[in-house]
Amino acid sequence: MLQHQNTASRPFRLGSLLILSLLAAAPAVQADETCASPYMAKITGQEDFVYVWTLGAEGVGDEQDKLVTIDVNPKSAQYGKVVHSLSVGGRNEAHHADFTDDRKFLWAGGLDTNKIFVFDVHTDPAHPALLKTITDFSAKSGGVVGPHSFYALPGRMLITGLSNNRDHGGRTATVEYNNNGDYIATYWQPTADNLQGAVKSGQFADGYNYDVRALPRQNLLLTSAFTGWSNYMMDFGKMLADPAAMQRFGNTVVQWDLQTKQPKKIFDVPGAPLEIRCAWNPQHNYCFTSTALTSKIWLVYLDANKAWQAQAVADIGVPSQVPLPVDISISSDDNTLWVNTFMDGKTRAFDISDPFHPHQTYEQKIGAQVNMVSSSWDGKRLYYTSSLLANWDKKGADNEQFFKAYHWDGKELTQQFAIDFTQAKLGRAHQMRFGAYSLYGLNPPK
Amino acid sequence: MFPLKIRPLAAICLHLWLARAGAEPNPAAPPAPGYAPLIYQPAHAGAYRLQVLGSAADGQVLTSDNQTARLKELMQGKITLLNFIYTSCGDVNGCPLATHVLHKLSLRLAERADLKNQVRFLTLSFSPRYDTPQILKQYAASISPQPVDWRFLTTQSESELQNVLDAYNQPVTPVYDAQGRFTGTYQHLLRVYLIDAERRIRNIYSTDFLHVDTLYNDIVTLAGETPAAPAASAGHADLGYLLRNAQQPPLGLPRLTFPNDNPITAAKIALGRRLFFDRRLSFNQTVSCAICHVPEQGYANNEMATAVGVEGRSVRRNSPTLFNVGQAELLFHDGREHTLEQQAWGPLLAANEMGNPSIGFVLDNINRQPEYRKLFQLAFGKPADMLTLGQALASYQRSLNAAGSPFDLWYFRGQTEAISPEAQRGFALFIGRAGCAACHTIKADHALFSDQQRHNTGIGYRAAMQGNPPPQVTLVPGQAAEISPELWRALNPAKPNDLGYYEISQNPADRWAYKTPTLRNVALTAPYMHDGSIPSLKEVLRFYNQGGAPNENLSPKIKPLGLTETELDYLEAFLLTLTGANVQVLINDAAAAPRGERE
Repeated sequence: MLQHQNTASRPFRLGSLLILSLLAAAPAVQADETCASPYMAKITGQEDFVYVWTLGAEGVGDEQDKLVTIDVNPKSAQYGKVVHSLSVGGRNEAHHADFTDDRKFLWAGGLDTNKIFVFDVHTDPAHPALLKTITDFSAKSGGVVGPHSFYALPGRMLITGLSNNRDHGGRTATVEYNNNGDYIATYWQPTADNLQGAVKSGQFADGYNYDVRALPRQNLLLTSAFTGWSNYMMDFGKMLADPAAMQRFGNTVVQWDLQTKQPKKIFDVPGAPLEIRCAWNPQHNYCFTSTALTSKIWLVYLDANKAWQAQAVADIGVPSQVPLPVDISISSDDNTLWVNTFMDGKTRAFDISDPFHPHQTYEQKIGAQVNMVSSSWDGKRLYYTSSLLANWDKKGADNEQFFKAYHWDGKELTQQFAIDFTQAKLGRAHQMRFGAYSLYGLNPPK
Repeated sequence: MFPLKIRPLAAICLHLWLARAGAEPNPAAPPAPGYAPLIYQPAHAGAYRLQVLGSAADGQVLTSDNQTARLKELMQGKITLLNFIYTSCGDVNGCPLATHVLHKLSLRLAERADLKNQVRFLTLSFSPRYDTPQILKQYAASISPQPVDWRFLTTQSESELQNVLDAYNQPVTPVYDAQGRFTGTYQHLLRVYLIDAERRIRNIYSTDFLHVDTLYNDIVTLAGETPAAPAASAGHADLGYLLRNAQQPPLGLPRLTFPNDNPITAAKIALGRRLFFDRRLSFNQTVSCAICHVPEQGYANNEMATAVGVEGRSVRRNSPTLFNVGQAELLFHDGREHTLEQQAWGPLLAANEMGNPSIGFVLDNINRQPEYRKLFQLAFGKPADMLTLGQALASYQRSLNAAGSPFDLWYFRGQTEAISPEAQRGFALFIGRAGCAACHTIKADHALFSDQQRHNTGIGYRAAMQGNPPPQVTLVPGQAAEISPELWRALNPAKPNDLGYYEISQNPADRWAYKTPTLRNVALTAPYMHDGSIPSLKEVLRFYNQGGAPNENLSPKIKPLGLTETELDYLEAFLLTLTGANVQVLINDAAAAPRGERE
């Protein structure tokens, strides 16, 4: 837990704190929206806004990337409306975004141009402002391309890359910046020809990267694996038909020492493992990921010998039909994993109360295509967006671009409102992050 | 399972909620890891490097002896742990945690006489109003024993404090009640800073990180560290080699003829090389020449059948190798250009390649950069213009001669064991029954393996006529899947046609005619053919063995060959002898060449 407060008038009681050291203590429970960094400040109640990092689309509005702010507080007069849109210039392949640990700034990346846009979201949460643009990510990092996941550590950000400036392939790294936007270090993914001390536990050590998550209590950092610029920027149909391109997907998850950023072990997880979601309960020493191409849920867990292992634990849909699982979201009670499948536009709830035997309990079609899902901490509100990558989204009538808000009562998803991002001349809706006045000691304007 | 029911609205964190509820910290709330033994095995001290996270800011403070001091003086020459607290803080996982862990650390350090004098703890209050020097003195006295140098600090004013808080990104937010009244409470982040003797921040610990074992190991690591070694160079750039390689191509190649208005010089090669690897030459500064012509991939691209340009736009054709491109009389697969100087502008201006909107846009971009103004002046005595840009790129490409292969040693030098007997049988087929040399020509004193002509092999015809069926998709090695027709329509509505040189000449006889590529270094340049549609050399050989893809414009030189699989093996063995002896030298040079990146 990062945030704490106190009354200034309470007398100090050092004796009590020293006594505490004698307690047999369990690690701290973290509270947050369900997929965010445990280091980050949190919204455990009603979020006021969803920030949608949106790709510009040719022929739609001003055609450039933008941060779109949607009011999602039912008590607001603006509920269900776009209250702000901030265009940043160019189509950068807007993709993921996340906050610094103090949650004052939202860092949003462009997978194509390698620009990182830093938005001030605390001064006026309804109207984010572009504070600075980091343009030299590739130059500073020693050639890393495709800033993808942004993950808050104390006072700094870990940024996974997807590619490199040598060949636009999948050999890449994780890059560390401080919260001021200054480059700190580059950690290249281990490869077969340079394991950097890591143990190659299977047949792959491919150097790809995608998402990053930590279990601080276990000093665990995990990275997953996608593909390089050549593929993620390529037309989806062209790529699927190209055997040379289809060979260029990552098949690994890497365990790192969170403190030292040294790679420890490389797991075979074939078929492009994407998002990583770690359990919240301090007794639950495991994280989930899902493979885009092979449509499986994988569990990375601590075994009885205190060694980390990876194991496929469930199929998603019918893998031979390539449903293409994309975003996943874990519930705060570690009982439910939402899994979106892009090809059929469905969201699927898996019961993961037994993490070794997840089973699907519910599914609903969200649209012709769906990518991201974000859940409130209490699991009662789920938000969906449509875009995967500019050149991977479906074509023609199936290219629906939307933001949709749902309520979940444990049995059914009920749509509350939807915003058509094409009709609204916004673009392709991608990453969602939550904002709230309460984070900054502010009250909503009356 | 989260242990408490959190009310909607403004439940920012567990502790804040508790405070609003008027409760003491819940005894069931789990204390932070810093109160218990670590549950994992930490890395050994000294076996890792702590990165420099930034510089530690200065600021004016007040000591518990009521003396003013500067933070930088207190930090100088010491490994410092700096943290921020309230003495009245009762949140077990907040300030008391920091004090508790630092106290344990001080006891640990006391056992290391060599270390304890190198270390200083600075604990700064962010409540100057309540935490007077006198209060801090009492607080310090309550911590006993205190074997390390531990200073408790405050500030003379809120503004002095604010300067320090801002410098360390340490936000403190007053909490107001529903009526907008200040509650006397604050929310803030717990951060403890590890600062080295040169006042650089080397780690930042939060509640989750803060543990005596981690702090101790980090301090030992810092105390024993040596300066980081400079990064090793990826290769060795050698301009002199490139110039010689252009002027005197390796064994098996003819001498190059340089245009009268563009004689080769080292300055032009150096400039051309810099341009070649500069991603700023494309419209959105993402694609250099080298992104499609990758040195380590035969100056072609092994990772896709047809190229991808700016914003991922599809290019219809495969990236051809640039090894020996100086010898080519026809440029582009359809041979629509004849000089490298002119050819350079094609990709620069193609909307689906480097995407630049105009010649002026490209030249302005280059001439805006002092580095390029200097290099163009050196090479041409004038800034970049439409002519000199092409001349520089052409000069670098003319230095990429790659030959002196095992075949060259065998054929031109008579080294009988330079290639295997199988390859020799393959050569006999190549110039004999297989008829390959009819187009991939070999002369008495050199071999380009190209007749510099265009031919229709049927590859283009077949692609244009077969439509666009759903492919079988290889998901992972050994696992493939079918895409349903409905899904394929949603993913891939149109595939652009490609009619070969006919698109230029408008002569129906030129439909699906493409130039004969060199076969030198062919082992390095998969996938093959103008559209990259054949993944391996063996499959290319099978394609020709069956007589190509018949169509009315099929080259008369292509016909069914009736070769056995063993004979195809011989041919493949021969093709594998065509890799230049100097390929790795050129790759190493390219690896060391600077990459132009957006600043």
